[in-house]
Order: sequence, then structure tokens, then C-alpha cells
Amino acid sequence: MNTPILIVDDEPDMCWVISQIIQSQGLNVVTAYSGEDACFKLANGDFSVVFLDAKLPDMDGLEVARRASTMINNRPRVVLVSGYHYQDDPVVRHAIDDGIICSFLAKPFTNEELLKILNSLLPTDR
Amino acid sequence: MSDNSLKKNFEVRYDMLLNAIPSSVLMVDRKLQVLSVNDNFLLKSQRSKENTVGRPLAEVFPMVILQSTGIEESIRNVFRSGSAIKGQKMTYRAPGVPLRIYYYSILPIPNDQVMLIMEDVTEQVRLSEEVRRVERHLASVVESASDIVLSTDTEGRILTWNSAAEKLSGLSVQEVHGRYFYDLCDANQKQVVRLIFQRMKTSNEPHTTEFHLLTPSKGGSILISWVFSPMLDDYGKAVGTVVVGRDLAERRKLELQLRQSQKLTALGVMAGGIAHEIRNPLAVCSSSAQFLLENNITVEFHKECARKIQANIQKASAIIENLLRFARSSLDTEMGEVDLVTVLNETIELVANQAKVQKIQIQLTLQKTIILVSGVSGLLQQVFMNIFLNAINAMPNGGVLSITVNMVEDRVIVRISDTGVGIPAGDLDKIFDPFHTSSPVGQGTGLGLSICYSIIRQHLGSIQAESRYGQGATIIVTLPLL
Repeated sequence: MNTPILIVDDEPDMCWVISQIIQSQGLNVVTAYSGEDACFKLANGDFSVVFLDAKLPDMDGLEVARRASTMINNRPRVVLVSGYHYQDDPVVRHAIDDGIICSFLAKPFTNEELLKILNSLLPTDR
Repeated sequence: MSDNSLKKNFEVRYDMLLNAIPSSVLMVDRKLQVLSVNDNFLLKSQRSKENTVGRPLAEVFPMVILQSTGIEESIRNVFRSGSAIKGQKMTYRAPGVPLRIYYYSILPIPNDQVMLIMEDVTEQVRLSEEVRRVERHLASVVESASDIVLSTDTEGRILTWNSAAEKLSGLSVQEVHGRYFYDLCDANQKQVVRLIFQRMKTSNEPHTTEFHLLTPSKGGSILISWVFSPMLDDYGKAVGTVVVGRDLAERRKLELQLRQSQKLTALGVMAGGIAHEIRNPLAVCSSSAQFLLENNITVEFHKECARKIQANIQKASAIIENLLRFARSSLDTEMGEVDLVTVLNETIELVANQAKVQKIQIQLTLQKTIILVSGVSGLLQQVFMNIFLNAINAMPNGGVLSITVNMVEDRVIVRISDTGVGIPAGDLDKIFDPFHTSSPVGQGTGLGLSICYSIIRQHLGSIQAESRYGQGATIIVTLPLL
């Protein structure tokens, strides 16, 4: 049984799009529409990968990532998805260097880009 | 007592009486010879009694005076007619004495004499000339002013109307004299202006306002900033009103430019938030289009993708439309019926992206869903935009921007509070001054709130600030309800 993938975005359509792409690979998804919701689900679930919007209404996406990075068990791999930052944005580079996020995906993206990142992060034994 | 001593006694009394008169007095006989004279005349003419009494008038007065006044002929006339000549003017310069001005009368006296009384009015004439000079000066000050200066009686009927008033209104002083000033105002202002004149009767305070003055010859009206001041007499009683007006066209033009540049600043601030907000629908469209390119999708999924694309294009378009509306709205300056709730909601929508980026929650508390005021919606939006962006800038680490709208009697009060750093007490009364800014050099023009102030004043409202340093700030905008 695969561990599900968490999708965090306050835009329901954005969650729908990412869900469709991931579900096409036969994987399960869980969605969260706020930072608080995401933190709650992270604390109470087991996720291999998180696709995380950078700007959430209640907290910064990177803050959610920082909390996720402190989890001892089942630490998920986080992909920051954003239309606000760009690929070589210093904020993004620092977060990758600090190990808070594993990858960055700029909106809008192609479905292949998202899948490429997803496949690089999934455990190889699935 | 002998006849001689009686006569002597009489002469002494006669001289005493003559000398007591504070005017120059000469008694003249039919041959125009001086019979007697008082000390006052001798002093003023610098003559001795010996070379005056018994001499002909032609010796006593300089020839030039006799010729210019025709005084000899006048005296003959009085002898002939027996009636007095009064209040003639004479200027007399005795040797070594400054010019003096006299009013003289020639009075018939029994026993073939006339009395020439000359009253020195030099001082009075000088004073009245001084008064006339000051009056002329004041008149030319009023006439030379480029501002409208007019005066009215207590009922508001025009008494004076200067050249600037003639030039700006196209109405001559003859056309307006005696007319009610409020008849020259815009129709919907007449009652208001009439009330100002009523207030001037009992008030000691000037009244400042703005309204249009009709310019019938040019077929329109011009916006003027007015100051009404009561005109008081020496006892403090109102005897009329002085009205000074300044053409606002030039200032309006400058304000318009300032508002436009402020708008550009605001657009710059919003750009970051907007990039994020537009890329979201773009991402949804992009991915949905890619789904449509896949081969084995269901009809239902196909439809859903198309629906998402359409909805998100619309979303992106709406964001752009709001932006355009904000950027252009200042071109529209006609006052009209405006729903303040719509203005607030649209403005909140414009800053929502930026607020989200900074983790700021926006709360709007309303009493009613429609609140009508008279105004220009684009300008009001600019005011709230500016206040919201200031509040957002004051909360770099997130917070709450709360907007509460209350109606009190005939006014609506909008309180905009942030939970940011607040305003230091010393700055509180400066924040509406032009060029006051707490931003670092290069960021913020310092014109924002002064423009808000001018816009709100144009809407006959007021704007105030409350704050405690470290505990956030509240800006209070009050507008009259429609």
C-alpha cells in the first residue's frame, strides 16, 4: 500500500489539478486548504511527499515545511509550488540548502515537470 | 465813570472777545479796510497789528489769494445784499509758515462792517486726505488681488465685487450689485450658502468651504475655495460678510498629477501579490489543457477540464480588470451616488493578494449591505487603497487589518485598524502633511495620506488617526451620508 501524497493549496482548483496528475499515476492524495489544516494532517498522517503552496492565508508555506522538517518519524519530502517565487529565488535556494524543501516547482508548470519531480522523490521500492 | 473810560472799557472787552475766538477774525468796512483783527489772525499771517489795522485788504492778503478767492468782490456782495457767504475754501501761505487751509465766512455786521471769519482746517483736510489715500490703497489692494474678494450686507446681497471676481465669473460689478450672492452659486448649493450668511450674523468665526460659482457668460461653473468672514462694526455687531475665493483649477490639476503618481506607487506595491494571483489560474489552465491532450479521457473529465480552463481564465481576467479600473479611475471626477460597501469590497479585493502574501487577515464589519454617499468612487477607492496599503506595510510579519463601518446620525464612520508598529505620538499630527514619511528614502513619497486628506475634504468628510506606538494604528474616515 502506497503512502498518500499531501497537496496543500488554498485554491481548490489548484488542488484538483495536482490531484488529477498524481492520481493518474495510481497514487493516493490528501488535500489541505490552509497551513493549519496541513500541519494537523502532517502530524496525524504518514505522507511520502508534500506539494506545498508557498503562500497560504494563515501561514507561510515555508513555515509548514519547517515544521515538517522537524518531524522525527516519517519525515516527508516537501516540494514548494509557487507563482510568487522563481526558480533561483534566494529564498528558495536557502530553503533547499537548509534541507527544509527538496524541490521547487514554479506555477504554471507542465504536468511532466510535476511528475518528474514526484518520481525523483518517491521511494524506489514502490 | 467817564465816557472815555467807558469806551476804553468797551474796547478792552471787545478785544478780549475777539481774541477768545479760536479762528482768525477780521472786521472790514465798505472801503475794504481792516477795522480790527484778532491775535489768531496776526499769529497765522505773521503780521503785526500796526501794519494790519487801518490797512486795505489788498495789503493784508497776498494778491494771489485775493485773485484766486475773489474775496474782495464777495465782501462787496455781502455789503450789497446784507446776507452772509459761508464755507468758502482758501489756502494761505504766510511767509515762513507751511501752507494752511481755511474755510472762511463773510458775515454782515451792523454799522457798515463785515466780519471775515477764517477757520483753520489744515489738519482736518490732511486727515481726510490721509483717509482717502488709505482707502485708495485698500481699494487697489482688493482690486489687484488675483483672488475673488467681495462684500455683502448681512442678508448676503453683494455690495462690492473686485476685478478678479469680474474676470473669473464674467459678471461685471454692475450686473451683480445688490443681487444675492447665493443666486450666483450652483443650484444645489444655494440653500447651503444662504445658511452660511445666516450663520455669519451671529458668528465670530470664519467659515471655509468649496463650491462652484456660476459663470453664465462662459456657460458653466468653476470650482472655488471660499472663506466667509463676518464683517463687524466697532461694537462687534455684524454688519456684513467678506467673502474671499480662490480658483481651484490649478490646484486641482496638481492634485490630479499627485494622485496619479500615488496610484503608480500603489500599483508597484500590488504587483507582487498580483503575480502570484494570476499565476494560480494560469497553472490550472495550463495543466487542464495538458489533460485534454491525453488520449483516453472520459467525456465527463473532458468537460470538467474545459470548465476549469474557462473559470480560471475568467478569474485571471477579473484580477486584471480590477487593476485597470484602479489605474484609470482618477479620470472620472464627477460626483455621484456611490455605494461605500461596494467601494470597500472592491478595494479589499485589490489588496487581498498582497495581504495574503504577508499573512494578514482582513476583517470587514458592516451594519448595512448598502451605504450610499455622494462622491467619486474612483477617488474614494484610492483613499481606502492607500490606507489599506499603509496598514499592510505596517505589518511585515502578519497581523489583522480590520475595517468597521458604522452609521451615526447623518454620517458614516469607517475605522481601519492594523495590529502593526503604530505611529509615534509626535508623528500623529504630521501624518496628513505632504511629504511626511516614515519610509526609508526611495520608498514612499510621503504624499499618500495628504492626498487622502484632500480627497476626503473634497467629499466634505474628515480623516483622523489614532495610535499608540507599538499597538497598531487606526485611521478614521468620516463621510456625510446621502
